[in-house]
Amino acid sequence: MQSIKQLMVLTKRILKQNLTNVDTVITVILMPLFMLMFFVYVLGGNIAISGVNASTGEYLKYALPGFLLVAMAMGSAYTAVRINLDKTKGFLKRLHSLPIKRWVILGSHVLASVIFMIISESVVLVAGFVMGYRPDLSVGNFALFVLVSLLFAFTITLIAIPFSLKASSIESAGGFSYIILMLLFVSSAFIPMDGMVRPVRWFAENQPMTALVGITRDLLNNNFSITSSNFLQSLVWLVGLIILFSYLSYRRYKMFSVKL
Amino acid sequence: MDAITVKHVKKSFGDHSVLKDMNLTVKRGEIFTLLGENGSGKSTLINILTTISLADDGDVQILGHPVVSDAGLIRENISLNSQTVTLDEEFTGYQNLLIIAELRSLKNAKAEIKQISERLDLTSFLNKKVGKYSGGMKRRLDIAMSLLGDPEIIFLDEPTTGVDPKNRVELWNIIREIRDSGKTVFLTTQYLDEADKLSDHIGFLNDGKIVLYGTPDEIKQNARQFVQINVDSSNMNLIDLPEGMVVSKNNKGTNFIIDERNTDMCIKILINENVSINSVVPQDNSLEEVFLDITKLDSEGN
Repeated sequence: MQSIKQLMVLTKRILKQNLTNVDTVITVILMPLFMLMFFVYVLGGNIAISGVNASTGEYLKYALPGFLLVAMAMGSAYTAVRINLDKTKGFLKRLHSLPIKRWVILGSHVLASVIFMIISESVVLVAGFVMGYRPDLSVGNFALFVLVSLLFAFTITLIAIPFSLKASSIESAGGFSYIILMLLFVSSAFIPMDGMVRPVRWFAENQPMTALVGITRDLLNNNFSITSSNFLQSLVWLVGLIILFSYLSYRRYKMFSVKL
Repeated sequence: MDAITVKHVKKSFGDHSVLKDMNLTVKRGEIFTLLGENGSGKSTLINILTTISLADDGDVQILGHPVVSDAGLIRENISLNSQTVTLDEEFTGYQNLLIIAELRSLKNAKAEIKQISERLDLTSFLNKKVGKYSGGMKRRLDIAMSLLGDPEIIFLDEPTTGVDPKNRVELWNIIREIRDSGKTVFLTTQYLDEADKLSDHIGFLNDGKIVLYGTPDEIKQNARQFVQINVDSSNMNLIDLPEGMVVSKNNKGTNFIIDERNTDMCIKILINENVSINSVVPQDNSLEEVFLDITKLDSEGN
């Protein structure tokens, strides 16, 4: 019980840090909103979907799932920054000398990160509603959409941990998030893959973000099927990445604890 | 019961042996200062004592409890101040203190925060954001965080580094007050005058071991003693003292600092060479001289 209470105290601390830091709010909440509006209102009408130029509303329906993932991916940079700051400023060391279970320390960063990413995703979703986005989803699909969002947030949080513990400064800690963003840009998130040059298209079709954007889109458009390739690929990617980065995070945290 | 006992502790990182055969006792209710060069293993020892990391070998007990089996119990009774201040600058002083109070599950958190803030003269700043605090105030708040929960032993790792002289003296008073309230303070510092003024006992850590231990006065008395020999300047050219015997000499060659044990031999040599000796005066050792002498002897392989 005491560990849960401590987990809540530390999680609240990190959430408060994020929500009171102007730079974090601009990057993780306002920037995805700006990008969404830019793509929908400036570029959207010039992008062909299914061979014809889309209307603003059609493009919004196509691209919003991708922007939900972008909002979360931008949050992962700040997960890494917060962990790295606690490391370099000695706060992790102070926590290690307090009567706190070790899992609570990193667990609070994971929990705060997932909550913050869901807040960021919700803001983009609400903005989408205001802009005219209307999803077509059942209660079951909505529950699955929430689950996929939580799993995606959890996965990219786990990816952030080894980078944040290894990096010697906050500037380098968040660098990995550009890779996730680059993967989202080279996927079906914002434009159909049909017009991409062949090697890029092959890469886009076979990297995790395309499947994840696809499953999010399927769920929000009521096209979800348990046998769809988007679902199966997403499942494999998420489970694989969670196992790999859980191991890497654990290993790096153990190495960090020994070197303290 | 002693506050800290360390017996035959060893710790290596890869091939690099940091603590070789560490033995140490710190009594309850005293200020103990650990001195040593950068990289001598001070932080490694603090990490072991504060249950952050484990020794490879040896026995460490805090308040009679072994660190390996009773880490949880020990953490209830200790606190650690790192070399860097561990404050959240976006939060107020009160919010920083409250986080630690909640992590320690203090029942009367507000009352304890109020009492510690008054003791450390922080009350008027508590509701201001820490980002607006001066360096000295940040240090005081950092120490206040360590005092929450009334821990028995407070580890202060270089608490005055980068602090201006006025705030340094204030921090010294706070450290003395902590000791006077019955707590044990385990201190490391770069400032030897600080160690001299504050410590009840000092340990010199060198080459992975405690090579000198005692009160500041005992250390100064028991360390290698030096004698200054002053000779008449007209005899300068005649002087031919063996090089190994002279610790230092002035530019004019009229003042020699030698190891006290070589005094008789040096005087004999000077007399044989018909050099007029003006004075032979024992030197007062400062901690700085003792520290430099120990590290010099070590680098010479003695």
